[in-house]
Amino acid sequence: MKANRQVATLLLAAAIMTTAFAHSPRVFAEPAATQLSTAGKNSKWSVQVKMVDPGDANISASFQIAIYESLLGELNKTKRFKQVFRDGERTSNDVPDLLILRTTVEKYTAGSETQRAVTTVSGATKLTVRSQLCTHDGQIVFERTVRGEVLFMGGNLRATHNLARNVAKTIKQSTLPAPSSSALAQNGQL
Amino acid sequence: MNAEAALEGIARDRNFRMPRSAVIVLLLLLTSATASFGQKVSEPANSTVTLSVRATHLLGFEGAGNNSTGTLSIQDGVVRFQKGSERVVQVPIASVEDVFLGDESKQVGGLPMTVGKAAVPFGGGRVVSLFAHKKYDTITLQYVANDGGIHGAIFELSMGQGKRFRDQLAAMGANVSRNNEVKQSNVEIPNESK
Repeated sequence: MKANRQVATLLLAAAIMTTAFAHSPRVFAEPAATQLSTAGKNSKWSVQVKMVDPGDANISASFQIAIYESLLGELNKTKRFKQVFRDGERTSNDVPDLLILRTTVEKYTAGSETQRAVTTVSGATKLTVRSQLCTHDGQIVFERTVRGEVLFMGGNLRATHNLARNVAKTIKQSTLPAPSSSALAQNGQL
Repeated sequence: MNAEAALEGIARDRNFRMPRSAVIVLLLLLTSATASFGQKVSEPANSTVTLSVRATHLLGFEGAGNNSTGTLSIQDGVVRFQKGSERVVQVPIASVEDVFLGDESKQVGGLPMTVGKAAVPFGGGRVVSLFAHKKYDTITLQYVANDGGIHGAIFELSMGQGKRFRDQLAAMGANVSRNNEVKQSNVEIPNESK
């Protein structure tokens, strides 16, 4: 009985030690992460989404509107920006660190849900757009070509949702320069 | 005979037990029904509905849930959408900048149908897909909110209803681009820009 108790005590001690060691790096890393997120919060841009430019593509108005609305939703979800404004929104005029998102359709292949369901390999709806984030003075800080498509299941408008999600994901993963106000503040601190 | 008598006895017993709970349930039902009638009556009596159609809101109409089916109507100078007895979402016709009409075709039956089609042997599901689709109109409203922000809303209507709705909006003073009927054909568009 005594031997069993000793073994149990040893095991318990080992478990406690293991847990303590496993958690310790996280505990030490926490302040740095907090600092990073605070800095991120202070240096957040706001973004204004402009209406989608159809370019030379023969794209329907419903698709343009769907891309625009989906972009607004998806950019809000990323939490990368302080505020997400619509095109024409008057309150955006007073925002200092504002980026403007321009979307131009480069390529559009109209698909068919029925064709997809019947053939599986054809009838895909494909969209390719060029996304640009510009500052007020026209300087481009981000530019990518992004695709969105529906290959197998779902309605044609789903391509717009997939596209917007991809644009938001690309923007989220990219590195944007620090906004002017936070850069000024940093200079002031230095 | 004995069995019949026994059954009658049981039925009688149950009949005697039922009323108390039945009355409570009935009272509850009546109360909730009265409450729901009360909600429906809250619409202003002097409102004039110009056109009302069944529609599915796909996206963009602020305050209305995506893919929700309800009633889209033109009433007292506003475009209204209401899903069942939920809150009415409306936009003044004067703020509508453009109305676009389109048509689409979609597979009917949703996910259960898709699963069913996949289960049909020898690719029979594909044949079903050939017939299991429905054409419908889409109506896209581009409007400006009070803060100047541009909004877009897309609704799905039964075939033929879209044109009626657009014409009615045009008659009520909304800006309508006449050359905006871009058909969603199922062929690739040859003149794509590179």
